[in-house]
Amino acid sequence: MTRYILGMAALAAMASAQWPNQPTPGVPRTADGKPNLSAPAPRAPDGKPDLSGVWRPKQASYLFYVTSDLKPEEILPWAAALYQQRADDFRKDSDGIACLPPGPKAGISGGGLPAKIVQTPGLVVILYEYQTIYRQIFTDGRKLPDDPNPTWMGYSVGHWEGDTLVVTTAGYNDRTTIDLAGHPHTESLRVTERFRRRDAGHIDLQVTLEDPKAYARAWTLPIELDLVADGDLIEYVCEDRSGPHLVGKRGDEFKIAPEVLAKYAGVYGAAGRSFVVTLEESRLMINQDGDGKIPLFAISETSFTQEGTGIEFVKDAQGAVTGLIQRLVEGDRLAVRRK
Amino acid sequence: MRIIHWSTIGLALLSPLSAQWVNYPTSGVPRTADGKPNLGAPAPRAADGKPDFSGLWEPSTAGGNSAPVAGAAELAPEFTNIAARLKEPLPYRPATLELVKARQADNGKGNPDGLCLPLGMIRMHSHPFPRKILQVPGLIAILYEKNVDYRQIFTDGRPLPADPNPSFNGYSSGKWEGDTLVVETIGFRDDLWIDGSGNPLTESARVTERFRRPNFGNLEIEVTVDDPKAYTKAWTVKLNHHIKLDTDLMEYFCENERDIAHLVGK
Repeated sequence: MTRYILGMAALAAMASAQWPNQPTPGVPRTADGKPNLSAPAPRAPDGKPDLSGVWRPKQASYLFYVTSDLKPEEILPWAAALYQQRADDFRKDSDGIACLPPGPKAGISGGGLPAKIVQTPGLVVILYEYQTIYRQIFTDGRKLPDDPNPTWMGYSVGHWEGDTLVVTTAGYNDRTTIDLAGHPHTESLRVTERFRRRDAGHIDLQVTLEDPKAYARAWTLPIELDLVADGDLIEYVCEDRSGPHLVGKRGDEFKIAPEVLAKYAGVYGAAGRSFVVTLEESRLMINQDGDGKIPLFAISETSFTQEGTGIEFVKDAQGAVTGLIQRLVEGDRLAVRRK
Repeated sequence: MRIIHWSTIGLALLSPLSAQWVNYPTSGVPRTADGKPNLGAPAPRAADGKPDFSGLWEPSTAGGNSAPVAGAAELAPEFTNIAARLKEPLPYRPATLELVKARQADNGKGNPDGLCLPLGMIRMHSHPFPRKILQVPGLIAILYEKNVDYRQIFTDGRPLPADPNPSFNGYSSGKWEGDTLVVETIGFRDDLWIDGSGNPLTESARVTERFRRPNFGNLEIEVTVDDPKAYTKAWTVKLNHHIKLDTDLMEYFCENERDIAHLVGK
């Protein structure tokens, strides 16, 4: 479930499990029948690690924002301007709103939803719950096509380096983004994924993005995929194609001096959740539960939006920042400042 | 040479074609002495000894209509009318016949194909674009070229769900009877079309498919529809396929569904 209110017009009806309490065959179990997620990774008949299973990325932030490691000057000016324009337009032309495929976002975040890897000799297929879309990764030795017709999902080939599956994807069209925040990519985008199944319950995935026409350097997102045992994919069909209802512009950001912003930086906690707020290049970033950094957009001196989710900083009578309130659809959550 | 496929609803645009992997030799094809594919060879078997349905398939159209555009793939008639080759008309309830007439009178505006919606597992058996069947222990996945969509058929013995959320493709569980895979599917939405004529499938439907691969080059699918809300009794149709070699799925994604709003009048 995405925590962020995204203003997407097209969201599938998310149902509860259609195969309730259906144990996944082949998952190693402890004596009491629970999945044993730290058992050794299973092997395919050919001796390679078997990546098959239903997986969900741990890092929820990468669905939304993937450039937190890049300095502003590492995003080419046209790409930075396009990102800004999209944010101002509430991202109303995004591929998700138009029910179009996610492109590289599928491999980075699965659209925030689980995906099933089916590994066979010569072909690894990933079935995404998001839009019930799939991707073929050919492991039969073929090379990427020389002059591919650009497609939404690109062309993927993979080979094994020891116990790591290395997948290269190219040939994307330029009509999607690399995250929901709207960072663009061009047809030159090349994505390298390295899958290593650490144990039965976890895959360590490194996703390297390289698009010299949009970003000055390549960068890598470390993603943990967690096994979804005893559950399966749900049919997701994007139906609401009536066009975006998002009108108007977001408006200019409320200007706050950096020394005021610096007072909000710190660590906040509430009932098992943590929020780390940092000031980076005059922008406040929030990292919830270690999932990754999201920028905060200022609405007033103390109120920000974490892309649709309100964050309000709380001060005491002396003006010291003592906490933050996260305003969710289901109610407000107060996090006390710890550092 | 790859034949250009056309959707029967000319409104949704085809994504442009090219030669990436569209000509790539399929491995593991049995051959005759002169090197040609031996389509009559025995069907391959999976590690568990069962017939393996894996491969790229397209509908057999023997006796079907010609497609309206020269050079296009022939269309299986069941795509437009599921009863095209049945001896008797479908056993409609009176209300069902009214519904079908209303859908047709409306110029087929509600045809899911024109709205870029999934066509459902029955109609997809006769859609002209290829589909790849991937068979692994416990699961058969069907990957459709159309809309980069997929369907899962579980073969791990799981029972059908007790209270499924209505869906386009339903929930499928299959088991072997000898060399035939018998698949049961329930859990459909109430507003489905199973062909271009508007013949319906409702939430009360239970669909049984019997898959057989009599030889390397052929796949036989017999579909029985038991849908008491729409039809007075169960009925059966055959939707057979032949293998497609030395090529692969291309990416087709339906985009221009807004044109359907221009269909006005009756």
